[in-house]
Amino acid sequence: MDFLLSQREELLRKSVREFAEAEIPPKIEAMEKTGEFPTELLEPMARLGITGIIAPLEYGGVGLGYLARTIALEELGRVCAAIPMGMQVHHMAIAALNDFGTDEQKQKYIPPLAKGDTMGVVAVTEPSGGSDVVGMQATAELKEDKWILNGRKCFITNSHTSDFWIVIAKTAEGAKGLSAFIVEKNHPGAKTGRVEHKIGLRGANTGELVFDNCEIPKENILGQEGGGLAVALKTVSESGRTGMAATALGIINACLEEAARFASERVLYGKPISSLQAISFYLAEIYTELDICRLLCYRASWMKDQNMRCDTENAMAKSYTCDAAVRCARKAVEIHGAYGILQEYKVQRLLRDAMVTVPAGGTGEIGKVVLARAALAPYRKKK
Amino acid sequence: MKRMIVCVKPVPDPNAWDRLQMDPVSKTLIREGIPSVINPLDKHAVEAALKMKDLFGAEVILLSMAPVDAQPVLREVLAMGADRAVLLSDKAFAGSDTLATARILAQGIRNIGEFDLIFCGNFTLDGSTAQVPSQVAEFLDIPNVMHVCDMDILKTESLLLTQKIEQGTVKLEAEPPLLLSFTKEANKPRYISFMEILAAEKREIHIWDNAILNIDETLIGLKGSPTQMADLLLQPKQRKGIRLTGNPEEIARELADKIHQLGII
Amino acid sequence: MKTQHIGVFIEQRGGILHDVGLELLGKARELAEVSKGTVSAFLLGRDISARSDDLIAQGADTVLLADSPVLEPYRLLPYTSVLAQACETYDPDILLFGATRMGVELAPRLAARLKTGLSAHCMDLRLDTEGKLLQMVPGWGGGVVATIRCPDHRPQMATVMPGVMKKLVPTERSGECIHLSVREDLHRFGPKVLEVHIEEPKEMPLEKADVVVAGGWGIGNPEGWAILEDLAALLCGAVGATRPPVDEGWVPESRMIGQSGKTVKPRLYMGIGISGMSHHVVGMDESDCIVAVNTNPNAAIFEVSDVAVVGDYREILPPLLKEIRTRLPKGRTDTCEPPQ
Repeated sequence: MDFLLSQREELLRKSVREFAEAEIPPKIEAMEKTGEFPTELLEPMARLGITGIIAPLEYGGVGLGYLARTIALEELGRVCAAIPMGMQVHHMAIAALNDFGTDEQKQKYIPPLAKGDTMGVVAVTEPSGGSDVVGMQATAELKEDKWILNGRKCFITNSHTSDFWIVIAKTAEGAKGLSAFIVEKNHPGAKTGRVEHKIGLRGANTGELVFDNCEIPKENILGQEGGGLAVALKTVSESGRTGMAATALGIINACLEEAARFASERVLYGKPISSLQAISFYLAEIYTELDICRLLCYRASWMKDQNMRCDTENAMAKSYTCDAAVRCARKAVEIHGAYGILQEYKVQRLLRDAMVTVPAGGTGEIGKVVLARAALAPYRKKK
Repeated sequence: MKRMIVCVKPVPDPNAWDRLQMDPVSKTLIREGIPSVINPLDKHAVEAALKMKDLFGAEVILLSMAPVDAQPVLREVLAMGADRAVLLSDKAFAGSDTLATARILAQGIRNIGEFDLIFCGNFTLDGSTAQVPSQVAEFLDIPNVMHVCDMDILKTESLLLTQKIEQGTVKLEAEPPLLLSFTKEANKPRYISFMEILAAEKREIHIWDNAILNIDETLIGLKGSPTQMADLLLQPKQRKGIRLTGNPEEIARELADKIHQLGII
Repeated sequence: MKTQHIGVFIEQRGGILHDVGLELLGKARELAEVSKGTVSAFLLGRDISARSDDLIAQGADTVLLADSPVLEPYRLLPYTSVLAQACETYDPDILLFGATRMGVELAPRLAARLKTGLSAHCMDLRLDTEGKLLQMVPGWGGGVVATIRCPDHRPQMATVMPGVMKKLVPTERSGECIHLSVREDLHRFGPKVLEVHIEEPKEMPLEKADVVVAGGWGIGNPEGWAILEDLAALLCGAVGATRPPVDEGWVPESRMIGQSGKTVKPRLYMGIGISGMSHHVVGMDESDCIVAVNTNPNAAIFEVSDVAVVGDYREILPPLLKEIRTRLPKGRTDTCEPPQ
């Protein structure tokens, strides 16, 4: 087992870190205030290779793998987690198109995403439920040579900054009744709805998509009719969970740095508070959590890059890392004492951001359903 | 404008300087464990050369005199977009002062062949002498301009340079061949893109020792250095908290002297 | 000890002598006394022969003067040429330059032409028992001091930052002025100077300022800020503050330095009426030089200061402003120059 990253990966990390430290902080105040994604960062991120990191070279992408993507998202998340939140959903759209699209669809829709001309959307969740995917209510009916969509999708990341959306809807009853579609925002009957105001990851735009007898061309079905569940599950498992995990990983890194720096500078009883065992033990815990989560995230991404089946590992990385981010952010806030709950200090944002990573991209509970299944698999009674 | 040569130097990471220790016997600094980075001002020189590449398709060659373990740092700079790198490395170069270093770099440049422009950073973080650019230019018998904070191409061959001086700027017109050293105001170095990281893995780093450069051994290394270090003292940064005493006029005088000594007046 | 012939390059632009040349004359004089040697001032320019008397009064025994239209404005190659020729003829043992924009470009080129040694930014110069020059040079951000020698090559060259050495008070001295011949075709060498542009100093953002003058609760009232602003303007610096003055409305929040404000790393930080709580100190403790003025001898800020003044700023600052003004170069009302 080789636990070391290659020089290429280290250079990638350094490159994103330099970019993130210079270009993102000036945007944070506006993001916190408005909740809007700074779309002016798309062009420099495209030039760096972030928007197209997993897209194939022939569609304008960089053609790198998931470990590279995890490192890039982690470094963005260390500065401001809302940015990788938007980017990871963007990558989900690229992955869905790449895995299930026809050549024409890939040629048409992947390049604008790879080049950062627009942002990617994968719309699954509805008011009827996100975890209960098969229970969705949005419908799609084939009428002559058009699909007519009806329904609404909510809690959709990048809803208002995207030119087209990958939408899952019901074409028949049951698990084999879901299909995936590519809807362009200008298709008749398609529109964006309300914008949500989250307590954290502010700057990752979250909103509603509304379909009112929305007409899309027949060829805009993505994958097989009835294959929509597979599109949703594969994309969420392989790209969504690891993307959220990498975002939360960046938050944990920021928690360690903020807490360790503050503890080294804050003087009480004539010494820095880092000399107090309780505080130093919190830091030891955050330090360990960071390493645990790094290992989980990198291992899951590595497996995906080796084309190994890794749904369990992805679920583990996501549910553990997001929970750990909340634990670490809370400790970081408490290490700051009363300053931790003041808006002008960075650490309170880390706690709010961490909290929002927990339900995003799949709840922790669904993650544990996947893990429990794996744990119990050897003991399942044979029929 | 066909070929640009950029002199770059790996320096100890300034974030790690407080870990520097001195060997009390050899009176040299122990560099192990201190990571190297590219001298920050050199990035502005590389960016200036890359702009020439963008405009004219010029070849950009990096040149560095450093130990062979400098290759990862050079690889990073290649990932900014340069075409190839030449690393001048030989035990015989060790201990060179700026004059000997300039001789070696100049010979390296002669070995590379024809060039239009040579770019350098205005000074390095470690030695900070800022002497090498003028000395390399002197050995190559070409003009040089330091403190360049802006550069424009007038016609294809003519350059309009802005040089920073204490109270303002000087505008100069110059033609290649020329050596220029850049300040940080000159440009914003481009971020290293992932595509370039991948491409740079295939770019060549040629390593040349003195068997290739063939410089007279008395002109390089310690033997070729007119200046020598007689002593080296570690001076840990400690705030001395010197208390000034006396009446206000006396204190004011001493304080003004101290401010003058800092070079501010 | 062998007698030393010490040369000093006298920098000038547009006929105005840079102080550093006069400061180096002062040092050269001191070294000459020690070695029973002589001091030569190397002065290049156009219509500057009148300056030779000032140079003699401030320590030069000989002024080697190159006065020609081709030497104004300063250009690297013509100046290198004239100086190289003069060094070959007059053979100084030591040659000193200011570590200015001009000196940093010119001294190395000349050293390479003469194939001799040059050390940069010397903080001190001494002679050893044989009369050879010992050059003290800081390195690694000031964490290391090296002593450099140039035993076998001549001249031994060194650059020195302005403000490190002291000018002599002009006295009645005798000396001679030798006119050097200057090739008229020198103007053909090197880039053409199109324009020399002297700029108005711009408003300095806190994080970029070389000098920060910061005030705290000890200032007492908004009127007290005026003298801090005068001091900052005089030193071409920016004004900062701790939290209490911001809360009181004496200064805008953009001036706050500290944990939840700005971080500054200027060459000179002056904390006036500031107690030195860690919230503030973390925003400035990497400044090169920290000077603190506070009436409380036990103020925490004194533990992180290089220079401590226990006193009332109302008594200390007015004479300080006066003293600084007397040290300003002729014709200047402040120290402003664009940041490096």
